[in-house]
Amino acid sequence: MSSIGEFEGKDIPESYYPKLVKELEPINKRLNAFLTISNPEGGFPFSVKDNICVNGVESRAGSRILKGYIPPFNATAVERMLNSGFGFLGKTNMDEFGFGSFGLNTEVPAKNPFDERYVAGGSSSGAAVATSILKYHVAISESTGGSIATPAAFCGVVGFTPTYGAVSRYGLIDYANSLDKIGVMARSAEDVRIVFDKVKGSDKYDTTCTDAKFTAKDKKKVFIIDQFTKGVDEKILSSFEKLVEKFKDMGYNVENREIRLAEKAIAAYYIIAMAESSTNLAKYTGFKYGLRNERFDEHYNEFFTKARKAFHKESKRRIVLGTMVRSASVRDRYYSKALKVRSLLLDEMNALLKEGFILSPVMPILTPKMAEAESLTPLEMYKSDMLTIPANLCGLPHISFPYAYEKGMPLGAQLITSQFNDYAIMDMVSKWEKDFEYRFKYNLGEL
Amino acid sequence: MKIGLEVHVALPTKTKLFCSCSTEASEPNTSICPICMGLPGAKPMLNEKALEVGASIAKALNCKTQDTTSFVRKVYFYPDLPKSFQITQTEDAIGREGYLGIDSKKVGIRRIQLEEDPAKIIREEDYTLLDFNRSGVPLVEIVTEPDISSEEELREFLTELKSILYYLGVDIEKEFKVDLNISLGRNRVEIKNITGVKNIIDAERYEVERQGKLLKAGQEIAAETRSYNEAKMSTEASREKESEEEYGFIYEPDLTTYSTKGIELAKPVFASRLAGEYAARYNVSAKTLKELVLFNKDALSMIEHAKEKHDMKSIIASVELLSKYNMLDMKKERLERLLLAVEKGVYPDKETLSKLYKGEQVEAAGDAVDNKTIDKEIREVIKKNPSILEEYKKNPKAANFIVGQITKKYKVHPRMVSERLNEILSG
Repeated sequence: MSSIGEFEGKDIPESYYPKLVKELEPINKRLNAFLTISNPEGGFPFSVKDNICVNGVESRAGSRILKGYIPPFNATAVERMLNSGFGFLGKTNMDEFGFGSFGLNTEVPAKNPFDERYVAGGSSSGAAVATSILKYHVAISESTGGSIATPAAFCGVVGFTPTYGAVSRYGLIDYANSLDKIGVMARSAEDVRIVFDKVKGSDKYDTTCTDAKFTAKDKKKVFIIDQFTKGVDEKILSSFEKLVEKFKDMGYNVENREIRLAEKAIAAYYIIAMAESSTNLAKYTGFKYGLRNERFDEHYNEFFTKARKAFHKESKRRIVLGTMVRSASVRDRYYSKALKVRSLLLDEMNALLKEGFILSPVMPILTPKMAEAESLTPLEMYKSDMLTIPANLCGLPHISFPYAYEKGMPLGAQLITSQFNDYAIMDMVSKWEKDFEYRFKYNLGEL
Repeated sequence: MKIGLEVHVALPTKTKLFCSCSTEASEPNTSICPICMGLPGAKPMLNEKALEVGASIAKALNCKTQDTTSFVRKVYFYPDLPKSFQITQTEDAIGREGYLGIDSKKVGIRRIQLEEDPAKIIREEDYTLLDFNRSGVPLVEIVTEPDISSEEELREFLTELKSILYYLGVDIEKEFKVDLNISLGRNRVEIKNITGVKNIIDAERYEVERQGKLLKAGQEIAAETRSYNEAKMSTEASREKESEEEYGFIYEPDLTTYSTKGIELAKPVFASRLAGEYAARYNVSAKTLKELVLFNKDALSMIEHAKEKHDMKSIIASVELLSKYNMLDMKKERLERLLLAVEKGVYPDKETLSKLYKGEQVEAAGDAVDNKTIDKEIREVIKKNPSILEEYKKNPKAANFIVGQITKKYKVHPRMVSERLNEILSG
């Protein structure tokens, strides 16, 4: 049931797009999904997370410090979408530089379309909301530690994060380069597949991008991981158990297993992510682009410092911690050790994934209300990523999909597979979708 | 005394280290792109040619073979650094644990690393300009062990190193910057950013004297960073406050690990060593030969070409002659006629030489005066000036008169005339 196929089968009048924009604008004012809205020249509409560069369109990664930065080039993924005939609809809201799980670390947070009192999830908050409210649309999004899976789960859409290196990162405003992955959000696994096929593949502008052959090896076995159910909200667990039963019905053998290093994953992830992000954020000095300090009569140190006050509190926290963990005196204790944990965890997960898929809830908590999420301490927020981090830390493909509705709010589960077996989990969700009825509060742009 | 160096030179690549911008732009800020401007979203892509040259330098400096090499980020804030970090190399550098042999010893090479040049800062009276054409130009940094212990060794090391780099295609005139570490006492003093051999030697001289005086007076030498003042020919403490350097190195996550196995290495040329060998073999001055060939590929290639068939003294004389008129790139087959002439003692003038260079017909060049004619002329002069023999016995310099008379008449080298004259007079 691909909405792209359905859309392309129809004769779309030119007037469709201005009408769509007109319909979208007032609702976007309430939900804050888009930071910019453009009128597509044609094609199936797609949005782009604000940290992915679009030529001539302000791209500021949700940050004040990049206000006014208009890249003179397209990200490779954007270029490939445009070349494939998709129509650019706008840039989507996000936590500043991707730092957040609830979409709150931004000027105007996106709201959950199912109930505006609730968060949309982060960091790709706008991408998930846009996908959840637009009938014909796909979102080019990005995940570092769970930024696709989490908002997709909270907003009831499919969120796919490919193998690290599957999609070129050229044009992505970096969070943590060894963890950043450009992925897709859509209303069906089939739409995800169509978009992934357009954007994947090697690119000379991104050395880490691979030309590997992606497979669809079905393993007939699903693992439930002890560490991925421990500490998970009871309500989530009880409906998750029903999902597990369904997978049994679909013919999968379900086994319980352990991933011992999973408990170390959050620490390792945040150390690597912060170390890398603190170097990426060093370039924002209010000097050549973005927010500009007009006083050039000061010493460069003062000049830079002034500009860097524009960072959100969470960014400042990551700069400080990231700089600390890579400093010479403690590098071996934190940064080097975290790299080791990553490589050992990958070994452990690979051993499992050779035999089957991993299935787990996406978030250990129910969708929080805005105020609840705001009151979380940084550590509580980091811990809420416990289920999305292991796959992200190891660069493993995973897909988040809605599987139930709890008091009207969607719940999301995720499937993880081995590197390059990306198509297999899309196939599984496609199979799952056959007996699942997606619910959406909005269907803007219906034909 | 311990001296160690960090030498920076620009690599001879047409494009920058991480993008395809040209390294040869002249108008400021015209050879730039999102990558070398460090724009958000841009990523580096390694210029494999730089890897090739880097590996060739590592081999020439006897470094241990590395199977792979990778890059790191060195983070610091400065207006000329677009990303606020420089992509460079540390443990996984392209070259490690090598040496460069000079006359008296082997100077250890700790590391050879590839890195990107920052933008160029142009300081005007009340403002500063930045030229990003230089941002991303590939540099190689050669870090030595503190093995140099005299000015003589320092000079020799610099000359040898420059010569090796020159033969690997590095434009040593383009950029040759050195950080000089000198310690006479316990503490290390670093003099940053000295350009050119003369300044390096002057800075070393001043610093050795300064530290020596402090030690004599029983004072402690402060571990510090100093800069060289070219006008005053002295070093002075840098204004920047002294602190432990903290760059927070992490692996460059946008690049991969590069295999160095398939790289085609340039064959190093040790011109200095060759000059020494030929000097001994052909009994000519090593100093003269070195001066000719250390920074002159054409000269070396002519000498190598002609050394089996011709007399080395004549080869040297020919090379000197061609060098004088910038004709060292003369085709080898045309060189033959010049060598024959010089061997006969005939030195073509500029006009004749340029005809030879172009391969045009030359009448007199090969038709040199032979020894018989010279001998006849010498006897003639003696006959006309009989007193010369008496004077010659008192002072051999009197022979210069005869040589002068003959070189006035023929295009012939004075040395050849005096050789004939000696023979006649002693015989």
